[in-house]
Amino acid sequence: MPARRLAWGAQRRRSFLLGIAPAVLVLAIITIAPAIYLVATSLTPLNLTLPGTAWDFSAPAANYLDLAEDPRFTRSVWIQVKLSITTVIGQLLVGLGVALLLNGSSRVRTLARSGFLIPMVLPPIVVGILWRVMYAVDISPFHRFMAFIGLPVPSLITDPNWALTAIVIAETWEWFPFTMLMVLAALQMIPASPLEAARIDGANDWQIFRFVMFPYIQSTLVVAAIFRLIDSIKAFPLIFVLTDGGPGDVTEVTNYYAYRQAFTFSLWGYGSAIATLMVAGVFVLSYLIDRLTGVAHAEAD
Amino acid sequence: MQRQIEPGPVAAPPLRVPPSRYWVQRHRRRLGDIGTVGLLLLVLFPFVWLVQMSFRPNADILGYDLLFTPTLAHYRALWTGAFPASFLNSMITSLASTVLAMVIGVPAAYALSRSGFKSSRRIALWILATRMAPPIAFTIPFFLAYRHLGLSDTLLGLIIVYLTFNLALVIWMMQPFFDGVPRELEEAAWIDGCGVWEAFCRVTLPLSAPGLAATAVICFILSWNDFFYALVLTRTNASTAPVAIVNFIQYTGWEWGRIAAAGTLVMLPVVLFSMLVRNYLVRGLAAGGVKE
Repeated sequence: MPARRLAWGAQRRRSFLLGIAPAVLVLAIITIAPAIYLVATSLTPLNLTLPGTAWDFSAPAANYLDLAEDPRFTRSVWIQVKLSITTVIGQLLVGLGVALLLNGSSRVRTLARSGFLIPMVLPPIVVGILWRVMYAVDISPFHRFMAFIGLPVPSLITDPNWALTAIVIAETWEWFPFTMLMVLAALQMIPASPLEAARIDGANDWQIFRFVMFPYIQSTLVVAAIFRLIDSIKAFPLIFVLTDGGPGDVTEVTNYYAYRQAFTFSLWGYGSAIATLMVAGVFVLSYLIDRLTGVAHAEAD
Repeated sequence: MQRQIEPGPVAAPPLRVPPSRYWVQRHRRRLGDIGTVGLLLLVLFPFVWLVQMSFRPNADILGYDLLFTPTLAHYRALWTGAFPASFLNSMITSLASTVLAMVIGVPAAYALSRSGFKSSRRIALWILATRMAPPIAFTIPFFLAYRHLGLSDTLLGLIIVYLTFNLALVIWMMQPFFDGVPRELEEAAWIDGCGVWEAFCRVTLPLSAPGLAATAVICFILSWNDFFYALVLTRTNASTAPVAIVNFIQYTGWEWGRIAAAGTLVMLPVVLFSMLVRNYLVRGLAAGGVKE
């Protein structure tokens, strides 16, 4: 029997290597190779309309030095920060609120859960279109209603002061269900006894939420925030359909700026440099968050 | 943690709540239900509005009244244009990428779940990194490389790009399902003369069927919903449905009825599918960060 077991173990180990090998190989080709290509391109002045710019490593840092003095890049980072922070906070608040509402055990609320997750699974391009409808002055039921009662409201997406807010609203609408689902799952893990104990002690709803429920969902909220924060950096379809980065460049986030430099202006080297910085930024952010939450968890334990 | 709870009054004072508040307390549940339905209608309003627009005759496209004679004119107009081809492209790329990701990813997930390789953690980090990296970082090198490889504007090119997120997702999502299948069952199959992969196919795989289905559906949804990769890597031949919508906005302007109809068609499969996998959505979308 032991010999047989050993053979089983050895056979398994060999089979496992065979099982993993194709996936590792494919992942390497489709993720590591492009990453190397990206960084290499960022060190060249590649421009597809100018021959001879490919693989020209004579001034490897040129793109990065230019970036440091590019006010449009700096502005795009700042717009990104504003967009990310407001939309993540919005999603957390709305998602948490709806989750608390849906946490009750009634048939209506169980059914409503499926309804509330629709915005999150819609194709982002469709989310863009339906908000485009909502923001178009001559089409939108909201704008036409306001005009009807004599209080016409100008369109948010064409107003430089409000365009970013319009994106934030649409993005919050699209992604609050993510926080909602995660919080709902966490709420259902809370044991019944502390809740009952608090109620018997005369705690009001706010106290129950703050001191009994909140400690249980705290870490879930942090994880949801991290995911949404990192994903908000990828915002593209909404901006593409709603504002195209405008008016002017008030909604041109870094991702959009990189897209324009590469795909519109054919400045591939420059676009790659921005994308490389974005990847680096995302990794630094993940690392910092991992450290911070790690410390928080350690303290909580 | 218990210390955080403010000590409540030792003996609750006799109930002297104002009558209105008492009413709220008594009907708490019903009020919550009404609030839920109201909020749901409010949240889904933009969605419902788009769907109803797609059935409205052009003459009355902006109407408010809900009593209108629905028409399929917009859908018929779509049927004669370039839209059906792009819809088919979406279908092919999403399905093919899902199947490919499952075929490559499922054995890897199983092996990672069972082997306890030291490098498992490193592979997990790698998967997390692909999940976190912004797509623009992939599109630039893929676009440049595809020009030389002859993969620009091809379905195969898109299918490969979709593997960048689908493969990682499959490996991540399937592992916990395999962790849940007891090893003893496989060992028993081995004693009965099965090889490692035969035991896997006959014993483990059927037991993980719900996980396989959920994972496949989520891969399909993610590929179907993609806009950015398809926008950048296709022109006409391989353009998918989301890109086709944008294209005809650019050619024919904002023809609302047709756009609404196209939007409705594109979101239909995803909305239906997502109801099937509701309980797995979070794990799929938060792949790399949420363990259960």
